[in-house]
Amino acid sequence: MHSLMQSPQRCPKRLSDDVVRTVALMGTFVTIHVVGPEDGPRRPMQREEAIERAFEWFNRVEECCTRFEARSEVMQLANHVGVPVRVSTILYEAVQFALAVAEESEGAFDPTVGYAMETRGFNREHRTGKTIRTPLDSSISVSYRDVRLDADRRTITLLRPLILDLGAVAKGLAVDLAARELRPFKNFAIDAGGDLYLGGCNPDGQPWSIGIRHPRNNHELIDSLRLSDRAVCTSGDYERRSAQESGHHILDPRTGSSANAVVSVTVIAPNAMLADALATAAFVLGPAEGMQLFDRLAVDGLIISPGLERYATRGMREYH
Amino acid sequence: MDKSTLLLLAIVLAVFGASVAAGHPAWGTFTGIAIILLAAGLAAGTLPLHSRDYFEERIRPSQRMSNSLITLSSAAIVAIYAAGYHRTSPAAHRFDSQTRQQRTSTTIASVPPPGAAKPGIDATPPVSRSVAPPVKKRPPAPRKAAPGAPSDSQVAPSTPSAQTRYKDGVYLGWGSCPHGDIEASVLIQGGKIVSTAISQCLTRYSCSWIAPRTPGGGFPDLPGQVVERQSPKVDYVSGATESSYAFSDAVAAALSKATE
Repeated sequence: MHSLMQSPQRCPKRLSDDVVRTVALMGTFVTIHVVGPEDGPRRPMQREEAIERAFEWFNRVEECCTRFEARSEVMQLANHVGVPVRVSTILYEAVQFALAVAEESEGAFDPTVGYAMETRGFNREHRTGKTIRTPLDSSISVSYRDVRLDADRRTITLLRPLILDLGAVAKGLAVDLAARELRPFKNFAIDAGGDLYLGGCNPDGQPWSIGIRHPRNNHELIDSLRLSDRAVCTSGDYERRSAQESGHHILDPRTGSSANAVVSVTVIAPNAMLADALATAAFVLGPAEGMQLFDRLAVDGLIISPGLERYATRGMREYH
Repeated sequence: MDKSTLLLLAIVLAVFGASVAAGHPAWGTFTGIAIILLAAGLAAGTLPLHSRDYFEERIRPSQRMSNSLITLSSAAIVAIYAAGYHRTSPAAHRFDSQTRQQRTSTTIASVPPPGAAKPGIDATPPVSRSVAPPVKKRPPAPRKAAPGAPSDSQVAPSTPSAQTRYKDGVYLGWGSCPHGDIEASVLIQGGKIVSTAISQCLTRYSCSWIAPRTPGGGFPDLPGQVVERQSPKVDYVSGATESSYAFSDAVAAALSKATE
């Protein structure tokens, strides 16, 4: 067997200082990779602690935002319809951002699809396997306009009985908070099952190389990107299919059924929360309107249609 | 604000201070007025400039919404981070318990591979190391042997689904190559492989060599997907063929447990 002493020339030595840790969180695996520090005896310890705190953010965000736990903060809102409820900063900011994206996409992205998601079988807590069933009047149609915010009091008011689904916001938010925690280390990668943030460079001193999975052939990549200090998120119809039906995890809030205008959307943005939300919005909007959305918001993206045609913003070339 | 203005301001302030100290209120009033005039001048000179920039930035139509959404998301992250939630207890406790759980599974899993014993790490009882990271890459330990037949371990399976192929749960398996051992974890939900990942990387090189972070699902969610890591498009993989095979073996070992 080889030993450390026989390390070949082709591998930079600092590779051995990398920390790569994977933890099951938020229904997926979260991997944090911090590229080895230059030197200094104290840094490794600080690095461990920072990674610990970075992982903690995922729990903290999930506690507030999960739809799969009746006692979570977001689910408690449904018990107080019509009443302003004071909420945590995490929940308030997540909802405020989700509503802004809903506004911008004219409802193609809508966080009030929670109940529709639940009734379509996306109702299982990943850790315990328990399913949730919220008693709501399903005949009432709801939209993002049924949610009111009060920034001064930090309250959220649901005007109608509804469940907020922050799935497309919370994971990205957790990635961004973890990224902020790791910022002092400059070179790191956070992968939370589709939501990534790439800080600085990879162990080779190059921008991180990120493969984008082929939406139909999971043995292939449909593209690969070079990223540095950017978030990237891909939403595909192959992820997280519903337990009951053939549908996938992105509902068109306007029709209540799975969106099928595209099969895969990738967005590159300054933070993962924005990338994820816009990928979800574009998934519903389809290629033409999706590209318009990207151009309007000055983010870059790649949309794959069911016929596997590629639609990419001009800026995508910069990442190859 | 240029240097001469600053200098003038400083002189006026000095005179003001001196006059007050010396008990000449008339001089104090004079310099007070001078300060007000100076401030007004500064405001007239600098503020319009700033607000014009600001205005131009705001009115570019293609940038307008982008600015607001990017700003909003960035501000949200800053606001939450500043609130310092993670330092309060509930999350820390939950994280600890999860870490303990992970620690236990790691301990179980670490027993089988010969030569993988790392004194002081996995040998330690999990409870006493509650804050220890659940999965940590260690500097590769020199090893006598890493046989090709990997062992595996099953952790916390939930309700098995009768009509599906795999039992739900998280499964661990080991794979070996000349560079060392890799432990893969496979998450099965609803009888399907939801996600796979490297849970322990005991190789001479960082497992990042075989772990490009594909946005579509992190690690390959089927053993065969390791093949995609060798795509020439992804430099991460090139030169890590054997480690890729080790990962593939590890996933296969984990899956064999899930079918039992």
